[in-house]
Amino acid sequence: MRKHLFFGLLLATTFCGKAFAQSDYPTLSQTTQRIQKLSANPAVELKTLTKTAGGKEIYALEIGTGAKDQKPAIAVVGGVEGFHVLSVELALQFAEKLVGENAKALESTTFYVFPNLSPDAYAQYHAALKYERRGNAVAMDHDRDGTPGDNGYSDLNEDGQITWMRVADPMGEWTTSKEDPRVMVKADRSKGEAGKYLVFKESVDSDKDGKFAEDLTEGIAFNKSLSYKFPVFEPLAGDIAVSQLESRALLDYLFEQWNIFAFVTFSPANNLSNPLKYSASEARKRVVTSILEKDQVSQAMVADLYSKSNPAKAFQQTNQGTDGDFFQWAYFHFARFSFSTPGYWTPEFKGKTNAEANFLAWADSLKQEVFVPWTPVQHPDFPNQQVEVGGIKPFVMVNPPFEKVGEIAKQHTDFILKLAAMQPKLEFHHLKAEKLGNGLTRISVDLFNNSPLPTHSEMGTRSRWLKKLRIDLKVPVEQLVAGEAVQLLPALGAFEKASLSWIVKGKSTLELKAGAPHAGFVSQTLTF
Amino acid sequence: MKNINLKIWIAAWALGAWSTLALEATAQEENYFRAIGTPHKPKVEIAWNRYYSSEGLWSWMKKIAQANPNLAKIESIGKSVEGRDILTLTITDFSAGMDTDKPAMWIDGNIHSNEVQGGEFSLYVAWYLTEMHADNAFVKQLLKDKTFYITPTINPDARNNFFKEPNTASSPRSGMLVLDNDGDGAAGEDRMDDLDGDGHITMMIRKSPTGRFIKDPLDSRRLVQVGPDQMGEYEMLGQEGVDNDGDGEVNEDGIGYYDPNRDWGWNWQPDYIQRGAMRYPFTLPENRAVMEFVMKHPNIAGGQSFHNSGGMILRGPGAEEDVNTYNREDIRIYDAIGKKGEEMIPGYRYLTVYKDLYSVFGGELDWFYGTRGIFTYSNELMVSYLYFNKDAGRGNQEEQLKVDDLLTFGDAFVNWHSFNHPQFGAVEIGGFKKTFGRAHPGFLLEQDAHRNAAFTIYHAYHTPKLTISEVKVEDLGGGLKEVTATVVNERMMPTHASQDLKYKIERPDYVTLTGAQVVAGFEVQDEDRKLYKEQVASPQKIAVENIPGMSAVKVRWIVSSIQNLKVEVDSAKGGKASWKK
Repeated sequence: MRKHLFFGLLLATTFCGKAFAQSDYPTLSQTTQRIQKLSANPAVELKTLTKTAGGKEIYALEIGTGAKDQKPAIAVVGGVEGFHVLSVELALQFAEKLVGENAKALESTTFYVFPNLSPDAYAQYHAALKYERRGNAVAMDHDRDGTPGDNGYSDLNEDGQITWMRVADPMGEWTTSKEDPRVMVKADRSKGEAGKYLVFKESVDSDKDGKFAEDLTEGIAFNKSLSYKFPVFEPLAGDIAVSQLESRALLDYLFEQWNIFAFVTFSPANNLSNPLKYSASEARKRVVTSILEKDQVSQAMVADLYSKSNPAKAFQQTNQGTDGDFFQWAYFHFARFSFSTPGYWTPEFKGKTNAEANFLAWADSLKQEVFVPWTPVQHPDFPNQQVEVGGIKPFVMVNPPFEKVGEIAKQHTDFILKLAAMQPKLEFHHLKAEKLGNGLTRISVDLFNNSPLPTHSEMGTRSRWLKKLRIDLKVPVEQLVAGEAVQLLPALGAFEKASLSWIVKGKSTLELKAGAPHAGFVSQTLTF
Repeated sequence: MKNINLKIWIAAWALGAWSTLALEATAQEENYFRAIGTPHKPKVEIAWNRYYSSEGLWSWMKKIAQANPNLAKIESIGKSVEGRDILTLTITDFSAGMDTDKPAMWIDGNIHSNEVQGGEFSLYVAWYLTEMHADNAFVKQLLKDKTFYITPTINPDARNNFFKEPNTASSPRSGMLVLDNDGDGAAGEDRMDDLDGDGHITMMIRKSPTGRFIKDPLDSRRLVQVGPDQMGEYEMLGQEGVDNDGDGEVNEDGIGYYDPNRDWGWNWQPDYIQRGAMRYPFTLPENRAVMEFVMKHPNIAGGQSFHNSGGMILRGPGAEEDVNTYNREDIRIYDAIGKKGEEMIPGYRYLTVYKDLYSVFGGELDWFYGTRGIFTYSNELMVSYLYFNKDAGRGNQEEQLKVDDLLTFGDAFVNWHSFNHPQFGAVEIGGFKKTFGRAHPGFLLEQDAHRNAAFTIYHAYHTPKLTISEVKVEDLGGGLKEVTATVVNERMMPTHASQDLKYKIERPDYVTLTGAQVVAGFEVQDEDRKLYKEQVASPQKIAVENIPGMSAVKVRWIVSSIQNLKVEVDSAKGGKASWKK
């Protein structure tokens, strides 16, 4: 007991020391160092899947022991949005806590951690000019005028970050919020309210088309360019789904990793606080756009588990996925259980309904500097109008102050480990050899899925990219009188069994094996 | 006569064997005469009554490029799964401008590996254009105006497999990747078996007291079912093969299965929705090579993909979900070209994939139109009509037996013969050969190739052709002049399909004035009512959204001084044209 206490203290000291040293989200080179450090652990294998157009590595950490691609696996994914720097830290800390403190989980589960799928965009957090970036480093003509990236942001007030600009104009649609005069909202013209401002991202009309910041100097957004509901031709999405080096490399890798049964993605979408709803009509259509009925049940169960690990009360968690995103792809096109959470959100504060007003009130209460006050600037496109630059600083609404991340990472690690403990678990029960006389024996057994989750998501039973459950009876061919040496089962539900039997002749030892990579394998021998 | 022959013989003997052949050829040429519509004395002699392997096609393509350096270039646009090159011929009159400056027609074949004749038909287009160029004014002008990018096989690995390995008329269809089709964890472990070693996978029958079939006493090739009150003699065992993996099924896990024509990135859907899809759009390197080539060649305005069979000229949409993608203006053009095709290719019908055939996501023609706004058809080559000028329907066995009686004299059918099967005992193997039914018999190949080539030429002809028909200069007084240019599109297709306009797929067409000081620039919306749309930024280079087919647009500038007036039009799909004073 005393020894444990002492060790705990030591750990706490080390951790505090680390936290003290790191006061902000890490740079890419810092994350790379941590990834490399992790790979020194014998349970960790580091793979570089590709390099982005910006020359940055996409890493995969394979964490497991023994025959790790034969055990059910969870993929933990960060950095699907470049501005969501928290997500990278959560994925990384999960990996660190897994091998450092929870290595026992590796006996039954394998984990694939992809810390950062948008490194080109992530780098903007630490760049001289900071802004919330989604796109990678390819050249992209977002406004389709024939010239790529010809109207990006401009730092008009030279504060090193991109916020907003408002132009005093009686024809503008925007006005100030009643909940907080710093916040801009659309005037409610249906109630006779007049607008006072035009509002744009901080920029100049460099391509002279009358639009602002509509052709950004960034490329394709990972989380807007996958194949489910691909928003073709939209800015940041491009002409073809899964067109980028990083998206293709990741998918090629995943399609070879047959053992993944679930994804946990740290992204703005949230189906853990707010599970997807089943719609019979959408699920029946040829192009399915609703979670399937049985999967809704599994998802709700996992969401319940999440709320136990993460006590933060959901507030304005209405994002259930956006077109072309990763979390929906993992379910609708890859047929695995797929869960997403932003990891963090501003709590409800002082009854504010506007998200920005709520955030500002909460940040004010903590004395955080999160707002750039509206300040007049000279703007070349509006020579005779008052233009002010200001607004909430980039990154602060979706990424908490770094000192809060430790606790969030702990909660989310706890959740993922609980999810792993729920994974499909095949067992043989009631293995029997009955003598039928004349040297014949009937072998019978129940194959049981001892898990609250089914072996296959309902979507997975439709997909060719999950293996069926395969049952092999290994016995010399001439001894098998009835029954199949190899049989396939489409799935076993939660706590469901399948009863199997064969008739064999003579005496021998047989081996029974059942399973699929994503459901794990079980085997047993019997002498008859 | 005798004397002459002797002289020739002596000369030939002196010059060697090569000269002998040349002299004989010359002598023979005096005895054959030009047939209308066919290249006479072609530089590259290709027999159009047989099929070629991928290497065979490429060898002809290289010869065409070598023989016509000013008209044809050959390049590899990518690699197949097994590392073969995907070879493309660019056909245009290079002396009249770069290929990329002219509206272009993309032609490919053989996306489905068993649908072989698309390879020969595509090659025929390249051969016909290059060989006719010298003698035919239409072709000469066409190659000044247009470019053809021709890729006879975009599936070279499995094309070879079709010919060189045992197959049915419908296999392999996929490329050469091998997947786990029966979901048992093993890939390709129960392929087809050519038990009789003839290169064709036919059918197996077995004598059985409980069989429900007999051989037709009038035609022993045909198995007929007996009546409900009659005993039969034979049972059907299905495709020629053995159960290699011991699961009780024969030939159930072969090459593939996937469908290269479900791999394209317009409204792509995964395998559980669209059987045959791979991991994501353009998983297959062969398709990816084509996609990348097309993306790098925005001048491609027309597309043709050759399939078999059934005698169809197909347009999209492939899926009902895409009905709104194809809008009325574009369908008018599709219809005009497609219906002309029905006249040019007897027996072929102009149809829409989703409603007349079957619904399909991720097909090539939908990608060409949906993502690039390219007017594209898929022709399903070979139709029963070609046999007896009657449409007996697809795969009509009665008709096929008659064809093999009257026209091919038994060449199409493997007669039933005994075989001792390791699992089924004494069986008989027989049936139609893989190269019959879907593929043309040799004597029908050249004619149908020509008619389909003519259709793609008509299609290519109607890609946009821009000219600046008139430039008017008027004095406005006060040192100002007005310059009005009329740009005409002399063909049916617009520079931007309506799909293109809807999504701003391709940049606008630019009409640029040089040699004058431009004060203001306009697109003329209605000259008589003096409706003009001003372009404030860069008025010397007017961006025109579209130049419709068989129609014109006008642009107008107000200029303050004129030196050497020059008007140029530059369109991605419509090519370039200029006017100089």
